[in-house]
Amino acid sequence: MSVNLFAAEAEGGGLQFPPIENLVEWPAYLFEGTFAEFNKIALISVLAMAIPTVMFLAAGTDKIPSGLQNLVEGSVDFIDNQVILPAIGPEGFKFRPLLLSIFFFVFIGNLFEVIPTFHMPLNARMAVPAVLGILVLIVFVSVGIKEQGLGPYLKSSAGPSGLPKAMYLLVTPIEYLSTFIVRPFSLAVRLFANMLAGHILLVTFGVLCITLWQTSLLALVVPFSFGMLVALTGFEIMVSFLQGFVFALLAAVYIGGAMHPHH
Amino acid sequence: MKRITRLLLLAVLGGAALIFSAAPAGAAGESIEGCTIEGVDEEILEGASSEEIILLVVAALEEGDPDHSSEEYKDALHEVEEIVAECIEAPNVLLPEINEVIWGAVGFFIVLIFIMKFGWPAIKKSMDERTEKIQAELDAAEQAKADAEATKAEFAAKVADAKTEAARIIEEARQSADQLKADQQARLNDELAAARAAAQADIDAAKSQAMAELRGEVATIAIGAAESVVGANLDRAAQERLVEDYINRVGSNS
Repeated sequence: MSVNLFAAEAEGGGLQFPPIENLVEWPAYLFEGTFAEFNKIALISVLAMAIPTVMFLAAGTDKIPSGLQNLVEGSVDFIDNQVILPAIGPEGFKFRPLLLSIFFFVFIGNLFEVIPTFHMPLNARMAVPAVLGILVLIVFVSVGIKEQGLGPYLKSSAGPSGLPKAMYLLVTPIEYLSTFIVRPFSLAVRLFANMLAGHILLVTFGVLCITLWQTSLLALVVPFSFGMLVALTGFEIMVSFLQGFVFALLAAVYIGGAMHPHH
Repeated sequence: MKRITRLLLLAVLGGAALIFSAAPAGAAGESIEGCTIEGVDEEILEGASSEEIILLVVAALEEGDPDHSSEEYKDALHEVEEIVAECIEAPNVLLPEINEVIWGAVGFFIVLIFIMKFGWPAIKKSMDERTEKIQAELDAAEQAKADAEATKAEFAAKVADAKTEAARIIEEARQSADQLKADQQARLNDELAAARAAAQADIDAAKSQAMAELRGEVATIAIGAAESVVGANLDRAAQERLVEDYINRVGSNS
């Protein structure tokens, strides 16, 4: 399981890269072994829920915004102008709470990847992305049924109109698969894989720094390795934000597609 | 006051998060410090990987049981594997992998300093601009409202002026109409008076002329009557009848 490199130089047993399950599995704090087992992932979930909530509650409702209120209102503007208007249009404003929550939950959850003592992105476990993907699926299917009716929605998702009848035999299964299975799956996997990859990168360079520091000769390489760690930390902050934005944007695109079938 | 409560809530949540998170970072590592395995020298354990430990333990057991056949060997091997696995999967929750935290934290704070130094001014600027924009918009709206109210007041004043003016004009018109009426009345009265005076004068003239004519006529008649009386010496009754006849004759002639 462990990889032994530089064994000759290392007094303490060489570079030991931890096995992947050790990167993402955490001991329980509470209720160990029960379905309600509370570990670090659960704690981060709670924080990712609580931090935006507290931010919005503490923001205040001054007429002229400043400080935290400015930030919070700016984030609402951001979701309005960058997510809802381009993807759905003005009638999508009723989904503002949902999309804003998705954005903040994913973003803050991801951000714990670089927060000291946490160092674990919430979405590097499949649980949260999977639930969010299924949530988005439920929402856009409900919107489609509500806006178009069950029959027309299924018909409009079956493929573009105007094809020869025989083509539908081929196109419909592909379209249904892509709309109802691949969409939530790709949403979840995109988020999960990005965050897991980022986490592994950070751990790699972190472990590299620790190991090189303990060697005599190779300690000279530590600045490069540490530089990469710093650069990747910055990069991962950006990725955290982008993944939150992309998740909310794609959710909005799917909802918009269910609202306007021939968009 | 409300905001203070909210900030307190934030502080409590943050504190709770810190307490919870202080412990567990160690799970990411493969620390076996603190694990003890009976019968194995602790110095050998230190720095050894999990597989090396298993091999060490197995070697120790093999000395007593070269065939690996006894149940005791299998049980012991199983037990060792479990202990080691447990040590790796769940190191002491209270002992974080301190060097990982240090490297990660140093890296994070360097990034944080960069962000604070280079990113924060931009964020601050855009947020201040947002505040200013909203402030300016509110001010402009306030100004527009004030302007509108001023215009409204101005118009109201103008309307009031116009009303007064109209009332004044109507009053003037009425007055001048009255004046005109009175003037005309007076002129009419004058004219009537003049006409009446002229008529009176005409009448007087005609009257005096008639009187003069009558006087002459009467004199003539009296002379005639006297002539008649003188010409015929008659008795009294005849004289009276003659005068009567004469007067009647004159009366019917005139």
